[in-house]
Amino acid sequence: MFAHIFIYRLKCLLRDKETIFWTLLFPLLLAVFFNIAFANLNKGEIFKAIDIAIVDDVNYQSNQYFKTALNEASQGDDRLFNLTVASKEKADQLLINNSISGYIVVENPINLVVNRSGLNPNIIKSFIDNYMQTVSSVNSILLADPAKQQELLSSLGNRQQYIKEISGTAAEPNNILNYFYTLIAMACFYGGFLGMREITDIQADISPLAARINVAPVHKLKTIISSMSASLLIHLTEMLLLLIFLRFVLQVDFGSKIGFVILTTVIGSIAGVTFGALISALVKKSEGIKVAILIGVTMFGSFLAGMMYQNMKYIVAQKIPVLSYLNPVNLLTDAFYCLYYYDTFSRYALNMGILSIFIVIFCVGTYSIIRRRKYASL
Amino acid sequence: MIIEVNNLVKRYGDLTAVDHLSLAVNDGEVFGLLGPNGSGKTTTINCILSLLEYDQGEIEIFGQPMTPESYNIKRDIGIVMQNVAVYNELTVYENIDYFCGLYIPNNKLRKKLVLEAIDFVGLDEYSKFYPKKLSGGLLRRLNIACGIAHKPKLIILDEPTVAVDPQSRNKILEGILELNRQGATIIYTSHYMEEVEHICSRIMILDKGKAIATGTNGELKAMINMGEKITVQSNYMSAEQLAKISQLPNIVSAEHNSPLLVIKSSRGTNNLETVLDFIKKERIQHSKIYSELPTLNDVFLELTGKELRD
Ligand SMILES: Nc1ncnc2c1ncn2[C@@H]1O[C@H](COP(=O)(O)OP(=O)(O)O)[C@@H](O)[C@H]1O
Ligand SMILES: [Mg+2]
Repeated sequence: MFAHIFIYRLKCLLRDKETIFWTLLFPLLLAVFFNIAFANLNKGEIFKAIDIAIVDDVNYQSNQYFKTALNEASQGDDRLFNLTVASKEKADQLLINNSISGYIVVENPINLVVNRSGLNPNIIKSFIDNYMQTVSSVNSILLADPAKQQELLSSLGNRQQYIKEISGTAAEPNNILNYFYTLIAMACFYGGFLGMREITDIQADISPLAARINVAPVHKLKTIISSMSASLLIHLTEMLLLLIFLRFVLQVDFGSKIGFVILTTVIGSIAGVTFGALISALVKKSEGIKVAILIGVTMFGSFLAGMMYQNMKYIVAQKIPVLSYLNPVNLLTDAFYCLYYYDTFSRYALNMGILSIFIVIFCVGTYSIIRRRKYASL
Repeated sequence: MIIEVNNLVKRYGDLTAVDHLSLAVNDGEVFGLLGPNGSGKTTTINCILSLLEYDQGEIEIFGQPMTPESYNIKRDIGIVMQNVAVYNELTVYENIDYFCGLYIPNNKLRKKLVLEAIDFVGLDEYSKFYPKKLSGGLLRRLNIACGIAHKPKLIILDEPTVAVDPQSRNKILEGILELNRQGATIIYTSHYMEEVEHICSRIMILDKGKAIATGTNGELKAMINMGEKITVQSNYMSAEQLAKISQLPNIVSAEHNSPLLVIKSSRGTNNLETVLDFIKKERIQHSKIYSELPTLNDVFLELTGKELRD
């Protein structure tokens, strides 16, 4: 019986043009569109000099080497920093206002003060580390060839070097990656179209077809599990196609943890399909309204996760942090992000953990609604 | 007893869609549920099938209480719903095979049954067609094939001929009689009295969720006072003659709208003869004369005071 329902379900869904469009074609088209739109985004223009401050005190004024290095790094069109020389109080104030990403105090060792982690603080930190490392060599070279002094110190301000270095063992910072991550997350949740159809086709108060299924001598749970499996198989295949397309046609770099990227996609796909099922079971309205809700919720979630405007993700994380965790699209996006940028798994695990809780809620919610086998009204 | 419904009540808010309805369907019958749109036929069927919750009443099928989990009962029922319910993405063959497969796990047997069902509804040429390509009548036939392919003991058809061309309709009605001859008990709902009269061995007339009469065609007609209706084509007769006709024994009314004289009689024998004698005696010029027995519409009219079709 499982095979019978499963196979016919595959046939039905694969021939359902609207569902295939939303779950496969639409994400592919969007990926191509992103690729065209962002073709130039990664080519440097994007890098803005980092606003920092240096605490103007005796130590700073007397440390000629550091002063030179910092000034070198803060000059020219492709400078690394926008430097403000300020008092300690002023620097604190600037940091609180978010006018600067951090400030430097020349002590021993040279100290960096920031109020959150991120790309910019990493670059500043890396600059300082580099400086410290160089100082020792500088000293010895100076003795041999004083003419090299200037050259050596200015090389500290070379931007390319830092962009490479801050990421350390991790991948290169990539401005368009987050857009593709939200795209994958969105595609996962468009799996909801499949889940939605499953429920529509089994709830007799929604469709006459379902009434016919309900009078057949097959247990409802058996029917739903068989057909849901078909939906999941189709969606997983579609998601795999999307990943392959992104990776090999559009050359999107997913970093080294490909296995985890696929695992994340699988869990995302399950979340999406069950999410659609819940909407269909919950919303006792026409097909059109359900589709509108599914697209609306997914798109809004994708927007908050940064699909239309990358910084949205950070704005949400800062202003309403809880929303980052309640938005399943963001959980998925952030999980991909973690896989790419972090070597540790704690934040990734948190994302996946919360997402799994969502899946449980979607499943239990759906089943508790469709479990009823008699209807009040048809 | 195939089906026994006792005192069934189903309310939608203030509306009582099925009002203390009891019915019994015997083995081998073609049982008709006749009533205008909204009289509660579909609601009754859905309650019997345990699709709908109901407020009151007991329902037994094949002698056992019917519940959503009564798979043993469900296995022997075939249902043709009032709305066409097929998958648009599956062909004619695949649709029938899918639904049949929910009852018949054996592949070989199923294939045979599906082909038989296709042949039975005359869709042989269309077995690879998708439902969208089928006309209304052919679609209805597919809908029927999906419900009956597994050769159930009890077949329930809810208005299977709505919006169907006459050719398909006749094919469907003959098919239902054939299924009955092969041993299936049939429940057939319709608001077309001619259909019900034609195929049903016993009929229940429904109005506003209530059973207002049950019996064979003849029994139902015997319930009302009206006998035959005699129509005479006549261009002229005097008012005096017309009045005399109305006063003949057993005659209830006579109206002359040239060229038709319509005479309604109450039940009794020789009514036609009496009228003929009078026409001869008075030398009323006439062409055709014919007499009709009362229809189920007349029964409905007399019992409820309104036409069956409005
Ligand atoms: N889901 C529903 N909600 C409210 N009223 C309903 C519903 N379904 C049917 N009805 C009402 O119940 C009555 C019986 O309907 P139905 O059983 O469909 O009649 P029939 O099949 O004889 O045309 C009608 O008045 C109809 O409007
Ligand atoms: Mg009806």
